[in-house]
Amino acid sequence: MIHFDNVTKVYPTQKRPALDGVSIDVDKGEFVFLVGPSGSGKSTFLRLVLKEEKPDKGRVHVAGKDLARLSNWKVPHLRRRIGCVFQDFRLLPNKNVFENVAFALEVIGKPRRFIRKVVPEVVELVGLEGKAGRMPGELSGGEQQRVAIARAFVNRPQILLADEPTGNIDPATSIGIMKVLDRINRTGTTVVMATHDAAIVDSMRKRVIELEEGIVVRDQMRGVYGQAY
Amino acid sequence: MRAQFVLSETWIGLRRNLTMTIAVITTVAISLALFGAGLLVNQQVSEMRNYWDERITLTIYMCNDISPTQTCQENGPATDEDRQALEGRLEGLSQVEDFRYLTAAEAWQDFQERLGSSNEALAAAAQEGDIPDNYRVQLTNPEFYDTVRAEVEGAPGVDTVSNDQQVLEQFFGLLDGLKWAALVVAGFQLAAAALLIGNTIRLSAYSRRRETGIMRLVGASNFYIQLPFLLEGAIAGLIGGLIASGFIVATRFTLLGQIEDWFQFDIALSTGALFYVIGVSLILGVLLCTITSFLTLRRYLKI
Repeated sequence: MIHFDNVTKVYPTQKRPALDGVSIDVDKGEFVFLVGPSGSGKSTFLRLVLKEEKPDKGRVHVAGKDLARLSNWKVPHLRRRIGCVFQDFRLLPNKNVFENVAFALEVIGKPRRFIRKVVPEVVELVGLEGKAGRMPGELSGGEQQRVAIARAFVNRPQILLADEPTGNIDPATSIGIMKVLDRINRTGTTVVMATHDAAIVDSMRKRVIELEEGIVVRDQMRGVYGQAY
Repeated sequence: MRAQFVLSETWIGLRRNLTMTIAVITTVAISLALFGAGLLVNQQVSEMRNYWDERITLTIYMCNDISPTQTCQENGPATDEDRQALEGRLEGLSQVEDFRYLTAAEAWQDFQERLGSSNEALAAAAQEGDIPDNYRVQLTNPEFYDTVRAEVEGAPGVDTVSNDQQVLEQFFGLLDGLKWAALVVAGFQLAAAALLIGNTIRLSAYSRRRETGIMRLVGASNFYIQLPFLLEGAIAGLIGGLIASGFIVATRFTLLGQIEDWFQFDIALSTGALFYVIGVSLILGVLLCTITSFLTLRRYLKI
């Protein structure tokens, strides 16, 4: 599903590569934790998957497509197959829960009837039934992140990328978020989650890829956060 | 669904930047009004030129008893032989389309008819015989004026050769100057309008960066992301253009209307020409705004 072949990325203003000869394979339906200190290249990895950045060396394949050969005008179609969740939720404050989730479908031109049907389903899937009319400001951090996950998942992407989704949420609430992500993973969606949260990684016992200074230092099935030390 | 979404986003953008939008509309309206006025004057002048090119005649005045010029004083009034010689010469010139002889009585009659209604005092003061008999020569092309003039000037019995075009050219020159002044100012204004639009769209893109960021992430097409901004520019341009159309129509019926009244000829600008000017101005306004918006977006809206 995601295939990195010896990928190197250097940002123009920096000497040290953000990713240095990284080769990673993520299969369909996998749940992968991407761990490592800040600046280790986790976010760069996610940006390369979205084709927000181009690698300086190596090849990136996502959902069977070679991103180097994907023309710019087809990038939106790639992104429709990928859902994104961020630490800071990125909800629209002037739209309620339903509208925030529906926005993702409206802007790719889905018909209204389809939106009315699928949005409530996804809102229920993330555990927000009965809160579709609430505004983001009236929700807790955990609930806002659920809305963001619902928005990322409403178009049934093949891949869900989560960049520190529990970074702004307390540990107890985080468990709920992880349950939602796990539920999404069980539908067959590949989930890649970048995180600093050792407790969560340890409790989930999923595949762990650890990056350090742009190099893969550990790739372990059913791993924990800090096993290498 | 799509249309409704795009239109509501456009409306939000226009309303959020209301002051900037008003500034854009005003600048576009003024610049297009000047541009349109320039075009209008241009059309009017070319129409008037055509009118006179068809009608302009070289007038050859013959000597009579009261001609004050030296040649006439020396040789006396033109004789019938002089006239026949001149007619023969005119017939031989390929640049001459046609000519007509007017006796002194006919010339006076014609003068009365031309001036009678607008300048009665002058018409009344002129008496038969004041205006010498003359030849009205129609040229195949007004440019041949100097050639034909050289041919007939100094011929026996010829007093003076006059050309109405020289007087008209001065007037056309004035209108041309007016036109260029309007177009140059319009050019500067349009440049200012383009900068203003660029800024407005930049502000709009900035204030909607959250929405566009999400649109990008969920895979909205570039066209879909940009369309509300392009429409925002296009609508501002269109409103500016419509206001300018009002100014253009006003110009047509005040400034040009007065010129037409003054000349008392049928040289009114056709309605078609007016619509042409309005159409060109509107299209220019919309295109300018849309293209500027597009160029701004390429720089400030990451897609």
